[in-house]
Amino acid sequence: MTMFDSYILFIITALPLVGAAVMLFIPAHRQDIIRWFSAAVALVVMAFTFYVFAAYDHEAGGFQFMRAWNWLELPGPWTLGSQGIQLGLGVDGISVPMVMLTGIVMFTGVLISWKIVDRAKEFFILYFLLLGGVFGVFVALDLFFLFFFYELSVVPMYLLIAVWGSSTDFKTFLRTKEYSAMKLMLYLVAGSVLIWIALVAIFAEAGLGTFSILALQEIDFSRNFQLIFFPLLMIGFGILAGLWPFHTWSPDGHVAAPTAVSMVHAGVLMKLGAYGILRVGVFLMPEGADRWMPLLIGLGIVNVLYGAFSAMGQRDLKYVIGYSSVSHMGLVLLGIATLHPLGLGGAVLQMFSHGVMTALFFAVVGAVYDRTHTRDIAMFSGLAKRMVVVAAFFVVAGLASLGLPGTSGFVAELLIFLGLFQTYPIVGVLAVIGAAITAVYILRLLAKVFFGPLDERWKDQTDASPIEKFSAGILVVFILLVGLFPFPFMRVIDSGVTTLLARITGAG
Amino acid sequence: MSLETIGISSAWVIPALGAAAFFFIVFFIRAFTPGSAVAKHVPSLSAATSILAIGLGFLLFWFVLADLLNSGPGSFSIHWLTLGDTRLSWGILVDNLSVVMLGLVTFVALLVQIYSLGYMKGHPRFAWYFAVHSLFAAAMLALVLADNLLFLYISWELVGLGSYLLIGFFYEKRSAAEAAKKAFVTTRIGDVGLLIGIILLFKATGTFELSAIFHAAEAGGISQTTLNASAILLFIGAMGKSAQFPFHVWLPDAMEGPTPVSALIHAATMVAAGVYLVARMMPIFELAPTVLLIVAVIGLITFVFAATIALVMTDIKRVLAYSTISHLGLMMLSLGAGSVAAAIFHLVAHGVSKALLFLGSGSVMHATEDRTHIWDMGGLHKVMPITAFTFLIGAASLAGIPPLAGFFSKDEVLLGVLDHRNPIFIVVALAGVALSALYMARVAFVVFLGKKRNPAVHAHESPPTMTVPLILLAVLAVSVGFIAFNWTDTYHGFAGFLEDGGKFHLTIWLTVLSAILAIAGVAVGWLVYVRGTVSHERIATRFATIHRILVNKYYIDELYQWVIDRVVLVFARFIALFDRVVINDTGVDGSGLTVKLSAWRLRYLQSGLLYTYGIFMSVGVTVLALIWWVVLA
Repeated sequence: MTMFDSYILFIITALPLVGAAVMLFIPAHRQDIIRWFSAAVALVVMAFTFYVFAAYDHEAGGFQFMRAWNWLELPGPWTLGSQGIQLGLGVDGISVPMVMLTGIVMFTGVLISWKIVDRAKEFFILYFLLLGGVFGVFVALDLFFLFFFYELSVVPMYLLIAVWGSSTDFKTFLRTKEYSAMKLMLYLVAGSVLIWIALVAIFAEAGLGTFSILALQEIDFSRNFQLIFFPLLMIGFGILAGLWPFHTWSPDGHVAAPTAVSMVHAGVLMKLGAYGILRVGVFLMPEGADRWMPLLIGLGIVNVLYGAFSAMGQRDLKYVIGYSSVSHMGLVLLGIATLHPLGLGGAVLQMFSHGVMTALFFAVVGAVYDRTHTRDIAMFSGLAKRMVVVAAFFVVAGLASLGLPGTSGFVAELLIFLGLFQTYPIVGVLAVIGAAITAVYILRLLAKVFFGPLDERWKDQTDASPIEKFSAGILVVFILLVGLFPFPFMRVIDSGVTTLLARITGAG
Repeated sequence: MSLETIGISSAWVIPALGAAAFFFIVFFIRAFTPGSAVAKHVPSLSAATSILAIGLGFLLFWFVLADLLNSGPGSFSIHWLTLGDTRLSWGILVDNLSVVMLGLVTFVALLVQIYSLGYMKGHPRFAWYFAVHSLFAAAMLALVLADNLLFLYISWELVGLGSYLLIGFFYEKRSAAEAAKKAFVTTRIGDVGLLIGIILLFKATGTFELSAIFHAAEAGGISQTTLNASAILLFIGAMGKSAQFPFHVWLPDAMEGPTPVSALIHAATMVAAGVYLVARMMPIFELAPTVLLIVAVIGLITFVFAATIALVMTDIKRVLAYSTISHLGLMMLSLGAGSVAAAIFHLVAHGVSKALLFLGSGSVMHATEDRTHIWDMGGLHKVMPITAFTFLIGAASLAGIPPLAGFFSKDEVLLGVLDHRNPIFIVVALAGVALSALYMARVAFVVFLGKKRNPAVHAHESPPTMTVPLILLAVLAVSVGFIAFNWTDTYHGFAGFLEDGGKFHLTIWLTVLSAILAIAGVAVGWLVYVRGTVSHERIATRFATIHRILVNKYYIDELYQWVIDRVVLVFARFIALFDRVVINDTGVDGSGLTVKLSAWRLRYLQSGLLYTYGIFMSVGVTVLALIWWVVLA
């Protein structure tokens, strides 16, 4: 391993944080510098994440690019006390796609935020803090730091929504951005309380005096311990993944957030929850996972169907996408709950696919909202006449969302379905039906908003700007790339999933 | 690569050409800014690219056919995805069935694209039109070549996408946008069945490969329950794409697309996919005889049901649309009777004739400022003789008039039904034959014969790009039947080509009867619509209720709309409201409120008054002491 490789994860995590710190010293009125600086940092980070993906050796599998720095020695009779808390970094086949996803969404999000003029400096600083936290969760191999980064990403989220967000105000329905931000905050904190209890319990039960996942994975936790503490992790992380019935923070949060934050929020942040269930829950407590998965199957299928019907019943364009995220995250949870190689692989790919796709959705919805200043579906008709590129992007995102072959959504959903039919066939049938319901609401939305005669109100609208085209174009490329050539992605994911499943069969 | 090596192993190039043309044109359109010198030529270059791709495909088809005849079926595949022990691949299978479809699709698509040069001339999205045509053809070609179910499903869905884009081509029209959506959603509901059916077969056999699945099924490796379930689920998929009752609703609305698109969708692509799927999966269906009976019943219902609606439609394209549904029903009926060769024969005969009819109706619309109402027309044979003559040939073929293509194929279908199904089937089917002849006679006679009805219509013959395809198709509609029939013992014809030892027969009484019924249908049409011996208006008023039901297409669209508006959407709004009111406002805000309220109550406990604390403390100590005492005792 070269010097560069051993530092790459640290650099990826630290760059956004350092970038945020540097921006503190750029005068607030020089917004052009701030924008270009942010874009440059994000571009470099994205390039590094591509490097990690390309350089990850899927044949060898396991954790790679590892590096650890001792941070706090814990006093006590423990053998590993000197490594008590360490900044341990490393990625495996599950986190590599997540890191890359975060890189892509980060860069495209910066581009989409090009037109932000209101306190742009603070916006980008908080945005980078948020992303630094997200990267940290995906690369941390230490439970303490995993939790630390997790919390780090929640706080900027609150401010980003409450300050730069927008409220939904129909006559019959009002959601202020402050309400949504507060709800999101409280929910995530509630989730993290459960998580923290479980993490501390793991620490104490293991009796090794360390938070290192690598050391903890050697421990066989007793069956009872796993049965009690796995659900805490499942619900705690599940909240972040939009698990029903703890999902209501997510559509409200998506809608209230400014475009780039919605992209990160739905695209990446919700994945942290699913990732947490895998990395901490399934990885450290395979037996508990095995025992509790039927519950996750039950809740997951509710997510899929309930989210889809809720999306169909919405009036606000952004809420449709918000609820569709709830529905699609349900598929991720179902895939995880199968504990089957196809289902799990599909779940991880769906995390990536949904991340890219929903980022594209929010970018497009943002583009529409920026121009029309409304999101009321009833007000739109025939926008494609004026915004043919925006419409085309929306069509691509919509097709990926309804799982059309050739897009990433198809491969991911297919794998999840295959996994489900091997384990819970009835749920598999319901999940396929859920995908058909998605087609109904997505196509209805497309027909209503973009097609048909152009509404006179919107006759002066302009199409996507070059920077919007570029940004959305990147996302489209990944949707098609994964859809047409899933092999390079799946072999990485498969190496991670195989290790994970070996632990379950080993435990069972 | 020398010419001799071009054969089955190059078959994959045919769909790949279409896909390449699609991407090429799309980037082409975007690459040049409007107004620049190159941009002026983008439309014609795009059309040329697309036509070149499909033309090369048609050329390649002959090489593939020659190779097939020489060295038998072949297949090959490339690796796509491995997961654990599961290998997924893209594969091509060229056998006699797929090569027939290959020829039909490339030929019709080529003609339709050439025809479109004239028909779509000057449209602002001319280039895009050809791009989507290429995509659509590529998907359909990939579908018929697929050697595994996964690849088939992928192409199947892409055909759906192509149809969505083509039907919705005039997206500024609300009706076109709605029709595109309806087609996509309806077929996708069928696809739920298809996908589940495929997954069930995969679960039972661990593979998507057709040959492996058939092998396992024939060796008894798949349980009867799974066979029945997957066969019926596959058929549900086929019903969606092939517009079988009750999934037929999308097809008439699909007329909102440009007319050449209708010709393509109705003749060779999309709707043929369902028939092809059942034919391809016949080894599975044969092992599930109950399902095969269901296929026959659905086919028969669709055949007669759609024919009755076609009798009263007044829009030329809608008459043709219901006629398509009806004939697809006939093909399914044939498959349900187990005669694949007859079904595919009818698919080809119908494909050629229907492409001819649609392109003919497009020629009429082109000449009459996009009019489609048949009572606006009349006497058009004088001003557009080529269109009229070719249209009459196509109509006669589908009406089953000897010796045209439709006559032969329909006869074979009926024969299969007679041999393998209950007599009731043949009786009802013969009634359907008479109906087909009647509605075909009606539309052809009203539009082209008789007197000019609307003085505002100034029709003229269409340009050669449009009439030449018509003539070519008409020649085929006349000759296909002759070519396909096994006239001598040494010439095996179409049936022998599709099935080893397969043969078309003639059962004289049935042939004569069906011919008489067809001619009688046409004769009635002549009397009513040309001679006016019986007034069609009087028939309509006499049987007002029946007429109203037919004109409203048995109210099935209304029923579906009602279910969507009053059940699905209401349910969706209920869930959305439930989420807001119960889960959020009660569950979430409620817990928030509870915390707030309890905090508000609890703060009175922290009064800071020493004697209050004293009282609480002594009460607490007393209670604890009591408990301690009780437990100890």
